Amino acid sequence: MLDNLSAAVGEDDGRKTILKGLSLEVPAGEVHAIMGPNGAGKSTLSYVLTGRDGYEVTEGSAKLEGKDLLDMEPDERAAAGLFLSFQYPVEIPGVPVMTFVRAAINAQRKARGEDEISAPDFIKKAREIGQILNIDAEMLKRPVNVGFSGGEKKRLEIFQMMMIEPRFAILDETDSGLDIDALKTVADGVNALRSPERGMLVITHYQRLLDHIRPDKVHVLAKGRIIKTGGPELAEQLEKEGYDGILGEAA
Amino acid sequence: MTATDLLPALKNPTEAERQLVDLFSAYNGDENQRRSFDIFALTGLPHRRMEQWKWSDVRQAVTSLQDGSANRPSDISAPDEAISIEFDGQSWSFPDELPEGLGIFPRTGGHDFGQADRLPMGALTAAMTGHEPADTLIIEVSGKVAAPLSITVRGGARSASFGRLVFILREESHLDLFEHYSGGAGLASYLVEFGLAEKAQVSRTILQEASTKDVTAITSTAHLAAEANFEQTTLAFGGKLTRIETHLEHKGENAKAVLNGAYLAASGYHVDFTTHVTHGAESCVTKQLTKGAVADGGRGIFQGKFLVPRTVGQFTDADMQHQALLLDNGAEIFAKPELEIYADDVECEHGNTSGQLDDEALFYMQQRGLPKTEARALLTEAFIVEALEKAQDGIREQLIEATRKFLRREREQA
Ligand SMILES: Nc1ncnc2c1ncn2[C@@H]1O[C@H](COP(=O)(O)OP(=O)(O)OP(=O)(O)O)[C@@H](O)[C@H]1O
Ligand SMILES: [Mg+2]
Repeated sequence: MLDNLSAAVGEDDGRKTILKGLSLEVPAGEVHAIMGPNGAGKSTLSYVLTGRDGYEVTEGSAKLEGKDLLDMEPDERAAAGLFLSFQYPVEIPGVPVMTFVRAAINAQRKARGEDEISAPDFIKKAREIGQILNIDAEMLKRPVNVGFSGGEKKRLEIFQMMMIEPRFAILDETDSGLDIDALKTVADGVNALRSPERGMLVITHYQRLLDHIRPDKVHVLAKGRIIKTGGPELAEQLEKEGYDGILGEAA
Repeated sequence: MTATDLLPALKNPTEAERQLVDLFSAYNGDENQRRSFDIFALTGLPHRRMEQWKWSDVRQAVTSLQDGSANRPSDISAPDEAISIEFDGQSWSFPDELPEGLGIFPRTGGHDFGQADRLPMGALTAAMTGHEPADTLIIEVSGKVAAPLSITVRGGARSASFGRLVFILREESHLDLFEHYSGGAGLASYLVEFGLAEKAQVSRTILQEASTKDVTAITSTAHLAAEANFEQTTLAFGGKLTRIETHLEHKGENAKAVLNGAYLAASGYHVDFTTHVTHGAESCVTKQLTKGAVADGGRGIFQGKFLVPRTVGQFTDADMQHQALLLDNGAEIFAKPELEIYADDVECEHGNTSGQLDDEALFYMQQRGLPKTEARALLTEAFIVEALEKAQDGIREQLIEATRKFLRREREQA
């Protein structure tokens, strides 16, 4: 639930307001999509919500299940249930995927006062999810994202999401760079995680992913605000007409 | 020989240097020992105006000889089957029963130290050892010794501690060595020499710890005959000042050396890795990977040199990499990698980087739930561990664990 969120990036002369009073509510159990032209502020929104350094919130609030996100450190937000599938996943040299994901899960559990995941449970779960996503065990032994292809990185983001089972997931262009089969695989993964307790926000440029995911709502983000909201048919309209028509309409 | 005879050589001696003269005069040194002391006296304790010591000023660090700290408690243990040799700050002890192929002989009297003029702390040690009780051991290896040697060196809360080890490796012999230096002397200087005959192999793992009261110099030399193989992995936490200096010379064709290491310097700790490798024979290989991580108020130094002379150094294959992380603002890292190559048909590479952890990677890790300190520790650990991969089995995991603790600030700082 975002209310009147405004945020700026950069310092001094380079400072720039990107989000300008953005409001949005994604109830638990729903999947919403955000579409919008390049540079509209979609990734900025995902970084503001996850607490990246350099993204300063100047106004408004962001809550997850009633908890104020903006006061928390990025890892606290993660422990509160927030997950971001990065538009550009980052390489973590020397840290194998399995080590990393296990450390992440246990850190979150620790922050919530829960017990650690046992080694056998973890391995079993990793194997099952790896199978669904077509990720072999060899790949999970490699350092996170190092030398992974663009599509492999995106699949690994979904792998992590399914392992971590967040309360709320933001997928920033997880579909870009995926081949047709991988797109289907990823969409299956997302659908598998749909549940009445979980909300998802899917940022995308393409109708194709939404065909598989069928979002409850589609929002158009332009110039730092949500300018239009509709059902899945809005995505189809955008695919046909581009943003010009809608931007004109909104103005 | 009296103190006054020796003093003139030292210009403006410091309190510590005067004490060293007294200490030396109290021994009845032989010609060899006196020659070593004379060479030491030419420079005195090494200091910043000497090019090789510009970042590690021993003279300033040891103004007078003062008692060192108690030894650090350590949770690192050698493998059970290891043959244990111990130094208590003054003399060595070793088991009576030794396996076949291994001989240990205490030595009194001076033992020639050929490189004294280039290694002032080595020269001092050569002068100060060879006296009773046994502070010098000749260790002769004539076969494949299956059990590792575990050498524990403590300063014994003394003001000065000197010890010397001379390893003689016969043809095709093989030795695994774990040396653990744990500080505990105001000024400690150890000299470790290796002579490897053809096809001899040494695998050496070194752990160095000390307190911020201790100044330690560990000077090593290694001469490799044809097809000899020398592998060294060092993990050092430093002290008030710690200099770990290794001079290696390839003297026969197809010899191979690995000189890996990592230094981890917390606030108040100073670690200096200095190496010098001479490719004095054709087709020899040297691989060197040094990693460092330094916290606010800590200081890390890497000085590496490969010398490849024109006629003898052909077909050299050598690689020197130094990569360091500044963990905080206020960390200091100084590096001087040098390749001096006169031969024309060689493959020599070097790289040298110091930087900070990647903010993007840290944010990514935090987004997945790792607290920032944990994310930093995990990233740094992965970075450091690469330089410890060739450490001995049975020790490697313990070194990695010590690294982990350091990075999570769980290491007890003495
Ligand atoms: N650190 C920064 N400093 C200055 N400008 C920035 C910074 N980060 C983002 N911007 C600008 O903010 C605007 C929004 O960027 P953002 O990445 O959020 O767009 P987007 O909607 O995700 O675009 P795309 O569809 O291309 O991924 C862009 O004009 C971008 O150049
Ligand atoms: Mg974007």
